[in-house]
Amino acid sequence: MQATTPVTKRVVYDDEVVRAFSLATIIWGAVGLLVGVLVATQLSFWQANLGLSWTSYGRLRPLHTNAVIFAFVGNMMFAGVYYSTQRLLKARLASDLLSWIHFWGWQAVIVGAAITYPLGLSQGKEYAELIWPLDLLVVLVWVAFGVNFFWTLARRNERNLYVAVWFYISTIITIAVLYIVNNLQLPTSLTHSYSIFTGVQDALVQWWYGHNAVAFFLTTPILGIMYYFLPKAAARPVYSYRLSIVHFWSLIFIYIWAGPHHLLYTALPDWAQTMGMIFSVMLWAPSWGGMLNGLLTLRGAWDKLRTDPVIKFYIVAVTFYGMSTFEGPLLSIKSVSALGHYTDWIIGHVHGGALGWNGFMAFGMLYWLVPRLWSTQLKSVRLAELHFWIATFGILLYVVSMWISGVSQGLFWRALDAEGFLKYPDFIEGLLASRFMYQMRLIGGLAYFAGALLMVGNLWATIRGGRKSTVEIEVQGYAHDGPGFWALMRGAPVLYSLAVIALSLVLFFSGALGSAIALAGFGVLAIAGALSIGMEKSRRSWHDLIEGHSLAFTVLVLVAILVGGLVEIVPLVVAKKDVPAQVAHADSVWAAKGEYVFVQMPYSPLEVEGRDIYVREGCYVCHSQMVRPFRHETLRYGEYSRATEFIYDTPFQWGSKRTGPDLHREGGKYANIWHYLHMIDPRSTSPGSNMPSYPHLKTHRVDLGATAGKMRVLRKLGVPYDEAQIAGASATARDQGGLIVADLATQGVTLAPDSELAALIAYLQRLGRGPQPVAPAPAAVAAREVAR
Amino acid sequence: MNEHKPDELRDHVYDGIEEYDNKLPNWWLFILYGSIVFAVGYWLVFHTFSIVDLPSARYDKEMVKASEEQLARMSKQGLTDESLALMAAIPAQVEEGRQLYATYCVVCHADRGQGLVGPNLTDGFWIHGGRPLDIHRVVTDGVLSKGMAAWGRQLGPTRVQKVVAYVLTLKGTEVPGKAPEGVPEAAAAPPTAAPATAGATGNG
Repeated sequence: MQATTPVTKRVVYDDEVVRAFSLATIIWGAVGLLVGVLVATQLSFWQANLGLSWTSYGRLRPLHTNAVIFAFVGNMMFAGVYYSTQRLLKARLASDLLSWIHFWGWQAVIVGAAITYPLGLSQGKEYAELIWPLDLLVVLVWVAFGVNFFWTLARRNERNLYVAVWFYISTIITIAVLYIVNNLQLPTSLTHSYSIFTGVQDALVQWWYGHNAVAFFLTTPILGIMYYFLPKAAARPVYSYRLSIVHFWSLIFIYIWAGPHHLLYTALPDWAQTMGMIFSVMLWAPSWGGMLNGLLTLRGAWDKLRTDPVIKFYIVAVTFYGMSTFEGPLLSIKSVSALGHYTDWIIGHVHGGALGWNGFMAFGMLYWLVPRLWSTQLKSVRLAELHFWIATFGILLYVVSMWISGVSQGLFWRALDAEGFLKYPDFIEGLLASRFMYQMRLIGGLAYFAGALLMVGNLWATIRGGRKSTVEIEVQGYAHDGPGFWALMRGAPVLYSLAVIALSLVLFFSGALGSAIALAGFGVLAIAGALSIGMEKSRRSWHDLIEGHSLAFTVLVLVAILVGGLVEIVPLVVAKKDVPAQVAHADSVWAAKGEYVFVQMPYSPLEVEGRDIYVREGCYVCHSQMVRPFRHETLRYGEYSRATEFIYDTPFQWGSKRTGPDLHREGGKYANIWHYLHMIDPRSTSPGSNMPSYPHLKTHRVDLGATAGKMRVLRKLGVPYDEAQIAGASATARDQGGLIVADLATQGVTLAPDSELAALIAYLQRLGRGPQPVAPAPAAVAAREVAR
Repeated sequence: MNEHKPDELRDHVYDGIEEYDNKLPNWWLFILYGSIVFAVGYWLVFHTFSIVDLPSARYDKEMVKASEEQLARMSKQGLTDESLALMAAIPAQVEEGRQLYATYCVVCHADRGQGLVGPNLTDGFWIHGGRPLDIHRVVTDGVLSKGMAAWGRQLGPTRVQKVVAYVLTLKGTEVPGKAPEGVPEAAAAPPTAAPATAGATGNG
């Protein structure tokens, strides 16, 4: 690289877009929390569903989660990233146009979500519910963000990248990869699509995304923000640079593998489940590295804890980060997951992260940043103090009540009596036992929301009393004096890391001999590593050099985050071709002897429509479709779920929470009339239920004209519909609906065969009727004919 | 890097932010290395060497154990359809039954129950009833008119029950062999009138 002479120049930071993102954070934060309070009310009092289709829990819960993640934390992240990056790189954001495309594009996505979710337009994958046109918009906005960021990086006036910027790089790269892959879909209309993945693959891809949205949207950018704003507010040096290096690389490398811990004891292959669990356990120390560097940076600044609300918010935020990242690995241990999964414990866990860590980081950042952006003082420190105490009370009450209700639900579900049968056979018993805790949670949420409103008022008054600031500095360029890209890529740390990854793969995918060789290899590497310590002669370490080469740094980040995903996802996607063979062997001595062929039957046209209604209404936010291999589950629900049963499920609907019971074996369990009554008024069949009522399904009609088009798309995804079935879809659906309404008519109930309720009943009655025997072998048929 | 003083500042300053380069705390390193060792060990135990059962195998054992316990409770109430069905869910019992079958029954009913002199036991058709107690009665008392011997005295009650348990596992396996005789066992009626789907995509 050519050495350039440093030149002095003037830089004016673009704080206008930071102000815009800060205001958006304040507004959307309040909205997201308000919707949270509403859905918490609905869980305690079903009447709060208001009897309207577009305010029912199943549609508003995605609005709540998306508003908090993408609107509240998203805008906060962009404000923090843009503010700190400019200062850490001593450069103005590269393009004002891109900054504003980013800002307005993101707000458009949020408004789009706020309109489409209540209308029931949803992809049915958690935290990825946005319909495909909005997905496209998200990708465009993210690309604008990425281009703007990396362009700024290229024009920086600071040779090395500070640790905050490392975390920002990993965020932008990884979210782009995750979002695009998880949202690969085939549209059937402007507002509807099917995921190109099905069943087990869809589940794995979704939780690779879902878990890493937590990692790279709610964790890495916020850690970067912590590394800038916390030492700024405390006016103390960061505790340890080398801890930053170790925990950054280990965090981003390990996080990406941990997704399958959301799928323990499901139909996901065991090896992938184990990977999810052990990588989650290994994530404990890297996560705590961030907490340590945050807390220990505050050494010597503890006196500020008494006077400065900003420091208070940061301390509690970092403490909650430490608690959540201990709880996460704990919940990923299989036997703990067996108890905690599907219960409110998980709800407590995510709120500890979102409200405790993200929320408090956001509040601390805003109280510090807003007065600076409007060159004034915070209007009322005492109100901020009050906010701090109310919010702390709220989040603690929230988390503790969810721990209690979650653990009790887990114990209720698994309790067996002296005879070895379910002690609480009716699912509703566990729900009724949680009611008090649901009300405590509501109070906690209300307190947290009230605190946020105090902040809105306080910051509003602060902004009104200030005027927009402009920051201009004089900078000198720097000399490009480091080694080139390929020289850095040949650095010892890269070679060691690649060797460790290669040996790990041998360990994972070979037998005893391969494992022994891999373990010996680890030993050799450890010795070589120990011997090479201190041998480094150059003044600047390799990491110091790579911090000065943003392209090399970014490429290494990309490699680090791709490994885990590739190792876990590719084998399952490639294995797709083998599924029919597995189906032929499904679960029975019959097939093993070859007399029957087992085939998973595709959904009928009416069942396809019923399934889309199930997705639209967000049934998956409260009902799982995954019976785990435990006696207490198979006693309650029926045979445990097998991977082959889901090959035509797109999107998969395994769910992650059981506010209501699992539905995978619902088919044939109750009469049609039961389902009819239950959907019109859930409390008529299940007294005490908090499920919303769905009377509108009775009057709304399915657009059977669109069914054939959906089936054509499904055929492209591998569902074996033939042309005759597609052409006759509408008539077939009407016939099937006719059978259901005829059955209902015998009980004195009138329903239209093409009503949404008939379609939903058809789907529910079909659920869990796994691979079915068809076509007995000719010999057996012949024998029967003789018998007759 | 080896000689290291605590709280030594690095020379880089970023927008006023300074950094120490303190050593990593030993307890933190212990968690890091400990969890890696645990992860490798866990993989070796569960996957490479399969020393501990994975969930489906564990589930099977859990279910067998529950059946055994239930059987122990039920056997106090005498022999029932349910207790015989439970035995058929316990692999150890079924295996003993299979060995007894291979010794005493195979001559007339063939190796997989497909029938030879005696009827096919796999086709869902039964001459003297297909419920567990029906089969038990036929094995114990025999049907002299059809050439079925009475095994009750020779084998004794315990072994008869095991044979019956094995025969119950043959039910419905539909091995091609002797043509069906008797009447079909009334299939358990489906619990609801779930509508059969019209057309070729029906779910039967």
